[in-house]
Amino acid sequence: MIKTSYPLNKVLTALVRRHVAKAGLTDDDMTGVELAAAERDALRRGDVAALYDLGANPYLIRRVFRGNFKK
Amino acid sequence: MAEIVAAVCCSHAPGLSNNPPLAQPEQRQRLEAGFAELRRRLAAARPDLIVMFVNDHIQNFTYANMPAFCVGVADTYDAPGPGSERSLKIPARKVAGKPAWAGDLLESGHAAGVDFAYAYEIESWDDMSVPLHFLVPDNDVPVVPIYTNCAAPPLPTPKRCREVGAFVGEFIRSRRGSERIALVATGGISHWVGTPQTGRIDPDWDQWVLDHVARADVEPLARLTWDEIERDGGNGGQEIRNWIALLGAVPGWKGDVLAYEPVAEYITGCATVWVHP
Repeated sequence: MIKTSYPLNKVLTALVRRHVAKAGLTDDDMTGVELAAAERDALRRGDVAALYDLGANPYLIRRVFRGNFKK
Repeated sequence: MAEIVAAVCCSHAPGLSNNPPLAQPEQRQRLEAGFAELRRRLAAARPDLIVMFVNDHIQNFTYANMPAFCVGVADTYDAPGPGSERSLKIPARKVAGKPAWAGDLLESGHAAGVDFAYAYEIESWDDMSVPLHFLVPDNDVPVVPIYTNCAAPPLPTPKRCREVGAFVGEFIRSRRGSERIALVATGGISHWVGTPQTGRIDPDWDQWVLDHVARADVEPLARLTWDEIERDGGNGGQEIRNWIALLGAVPGWKGDVLAYEPVAEYITGCATVWVHP
């Protein structure tokens, strides 16, 4: 089964459902969710490759960090 | 007896509605002509109801609660909702549902061993909104959506999708009365979205899929594994589960491929297919 991080997807889903797009997240965006240090760092930087490797769903990555993709 | 009077498979992508000029003019023209012909044939079939095989993009069904198959039983659906109208460039609109019909499908499914989940509230993203924008611009036909998890693995197998589609077809044909039902499946074909390979399209795989749809040769599609689709069609290619479900509902029906364009700007292998006896 593909690697899935529930905490990462929980943070991103909350933003997607509010139709929010960002280049990187703030600590406020991550409040209340227990994230590993690497996950928190990848969210702050909007690092799409790292987020994918850490188990964020690609559709959620795309919706939130749309501006960080070259295409 | 109720009758399946039309069947359509087509792609969905935000770029189809939010920025069509992005595509190469010839590609856009051929693709929009394909949608226009689908719209014409669908209208000529005079359906009373559209049963739509569709998938969410973690807008409605989240990792907190992820159904494999879910029937919409709402009075209306936001397709799109106010939050999406700006990004899709489709005016927010309510699409009528048919809750009593959907409830019958749900109960019959449970009786037959197809354990659908159900939802009274769904806000569509491009999945329902974009195809309906092209196919039913006057918003004058009610819709019952059947959502399949194509986005958050593990996903139901293509084989199971075909079985669920077969059940839906049998359910329709078993109904008394003179209902005229259209089937619409959306999604695919190949696209990599949100992954490190975002933007990739595989026209060879798309053609392989279309060739099988054209011949009504569903078995090889139903045998595909998640890994094979992910490798050859990308994470967006997993959406062909919706097509496979539709093909399961109309055994032997063949696809007439009206348009296929690998549109780099939409990052999707886009197709419009009329499926017929």
